[in-house]
Amino acid sequence: MKNRYLLLLKMQLYNLFGINRILHSHSKKEKQRSTALGGLAILILGLMVAYSTMISMGIASMGAVNILPTISALACSFITLILTFLKSSGVLIGLRDYDMVMSLPVKNSEVVLSRLTMVYLANLLISMIVVLPSVVIFGANAEAGISGNIIFLLSFLFLPVIPMIISLGLGVLISAISSRSKHKNILSLVLSTLAVLLIVAASAKTQDMNTEEILNIGILFSDMANKLYPPAGLISKAVEQQNWLYFLAFAGMSVFISAIFAGIAAHFYQKMNTAAFHPSAAKFEGKILQASSPFQAMYKREFERYFSCTIYALNSTIGMVLLLIAALLLLFVSPEALEQQSGIIGLSQMLRQVLPLVIAVFVTMTSTASASLSLEGKNRWIMCSVPVRAIDIFNAKIAVNLTVICPFVLISAALSGFKMGISLKQAILLCIVPAAYACFISVLGMYMNVKFPKYDWTSEYYAVKGGSISVLATMGTGMLSSLIPLFVCIAFQNISSLIMAATSILLSVFSFLLYRQLQRYRLYEI
Amino acid sequence: MQSILEIKNFTKEYSQGKKAVDNLSLSVMPGEIHGFIGHNGAGKTTTIRAVVGVMGFNKGEILIDGHSAKTEPVKCKLLTAYIPDNPDLYDYITGIQYLNYMADMFSVDRKHREERVKKYAELFGITDSLGNLISSYSHGMKQKLALIGAFLHEPKLLVLDEPFVGLDPEAAFHLKQTMHDLCNQGNAIFFSTHVLDVAEKLCDKVSIIKQGKLVISGSMETVRGSGSLEDVFMEVVENEK
Repeated sequence: MKNRYLLLLKMQLYNLFGINRILHSHSKKEKQRSTALGGLAILILGLMVAYSTMISMGIASMGAVNILPTISALACSFITLILTFLKSSGVLIGLRDYDMVMSLPVKNSEVVLSRLTMVYLANLLISMIVVLPSVVIFGANAEAGISGNIIFLLSFLFLPVIPMIISLGLGVLISAISSRSKHKNILSLVLSTLAVLLIVAASAKTQDMNTEEILNIGILFSDMANKLYPPAGLISKAVEQQNWLYFLAFAGMSVFISAIFAGIAAHFYQKMNTAAFHPSAAKFEGKILQASSPFQAMYKREFERYFSCTIYALNSTIGMVLLLIAALLLLFVSPEALEQQSGIIGLSQMLRQVLPLVIAVFVTMTSTASASLSLEGKNRWIMCSVPVRAIDIFNAKIAVNLTVICPFVLISAALSGFKMGISLKQAILLCIVPAAYACFISVLGMYMNVKFPKYDWTSEYYAVKGGSISVLATMGTGMLSSLIPLFVCIAFQNISSLIMAATSILLSVFSFLLYRQLQRYRLYEI
Repeated sequence: MQSILEIKNFTKEYSQGKKAVDNLSLSVMPGEIHGFIGHNGAGKTTTIRAVVGVMGFNKGEILIDGHSAKTEPVKCKLLTAYIPDNPDLYDYITGIQYLNYMADMFSVDRKHREERVKKYAELFGITDSLGNLISSYSHGMKQKLALIGAFLHEPKLLVLDEPFVGLDPEAAFHLKQTMHDLCNQGNAIFFSTHVLDVAEKLCDKVSIIKQGKLVISGSMETVRGSGSLEDVFMEVVENEK
């Protein structure tokens, strides 16, 4: 008899990176597209490994090679914590294949374990990217002996476990709390946003400490890491002292915590899912139905979709929330004080000049449109059959993206502009540049989703994040489009206004061209 | 004789206190095709989901071939096959990969799985498409594939939610035939339907549920009396209004 846990896992692995589709699809076009995407994925992976290697080499060249184990343990843990949290609600609860899987002769624990294993495998990839280059640099430069190096190498297998469980636990807890509320999606969104902000704040705090301590006070740093996140301290000690007991304690702690979580999740698995699937019992009170134009109707529906999916709303709004928080913080810390604290001469003047592009960076993180088409999933027949042009549907999706961005940008720009005392020219740029970026990211997101739709998801998470090419491509292109001009402006501050104006014009032209392309598509072709 | 499905005082209450099913009891004997009828939202799917172990329940007991769905869920599921009203199969695998997966899950040996896949795929006319991705299948083909997956381990209890929706007339005929064959071997079928004509011709026993409560249950002859099942159903619905 085959192990049913492995069978469940195998079925999920079939969908990983669309491998099974590539192998069995008879469409040449799809195969070519998949091969190109595979090449792109390998390239991105290579870049990430190169980046990780460069950081490790940098630390080693500063003479701080001994803190590499702690640094990589912390980095790996924080990345895992944030990325897992963003997908936590779509891992265990509300999956589309729930009924099918649960009617099979499998135990709840096998189902839960197979789901957790998939998340673990994804996180293992992150761990490999972060830790393995460090292991090589550490092995070449430090004198930790064979045991120390082997321990450091093996640590990558266990490093993602505890942060992954913390994030999943938090996600499940938020779902459980929200499921009792009438407005469960909005409550879940608010709680999730707060949790992400907490994680980001904690991460930023630790990074602050790193930069202070990184070069000289290795031992003190280990103590600090120990206090902040004891498992990272355990790894550091295990490598430093070549002590297998510390390593076993760390590995044991990881396995023990995940076993406890898996046990609890398996026990409540059916209950959690029944609560998630059961609609709240609101009685129709015979309100007068309001008539709207087709565009308004689609726009309203898009907005309802936005609030109905926590991962979608959280993923596409977090940039705007961070922008607003940064603007609010600026009210309490003057740019001059920032300049004094950081020791960077001319920082306040530079910030004033590049403020529109700083806001643009946050804007380019926000694209509801890039997943909006994929989220139609099996319901896409509805949009294909309504008597409107494809571009009208795209317009509604683009309009939602602009609606999400606009209020945040307006408030943040007004607050930061007022606090920094900008000139009229800077104020005009503060209006034009973010507006151009907002249009660009909205149209680009829509275009990317039309080019790379993903309808065959089992959880909304896969349409919004996990391997969604359209979201990744939009975010990547968007960030590059804002970061490159930002760095150019910092380098050539005397012509920064000109650069920003030129960038805005260029982006507007791009947006127009992409929009023209969108007008050519027909829905049933996508 | 021991019943294959025994539902005793089954009650499903949701968190807001709303009872989806209230104190329902019925049994399905070996060799029996049992129809489960009710209008939309009556509690049919809730009952079926509890029977197949997809959903927990508050009160009562569900026994499958003497095993409790609450305390021995895996044993019960091994004896059961379930097809929901709209089978949501994995689009990214091929038909044959899906059937192999189901056969593995129910530990069907190689000889039997080859035999049965061949037999049922030919019967439902999808042999040539088994190597294609499920995403390329029509709704009816997916329904047929789900049915074949359910027949692979020759379940003691076959639970179907609206099985005839989306099937072409030929496939519907073969399904009815296969249902009879399965029951002739001593197995049982519990299925929900809105198609009263089909239920009347196919079922040995029928149960009607309304607003979570069982209104009538018995052999087809007893329930319909001298009228038709449609008359009885309409009478029940009108009287209870």
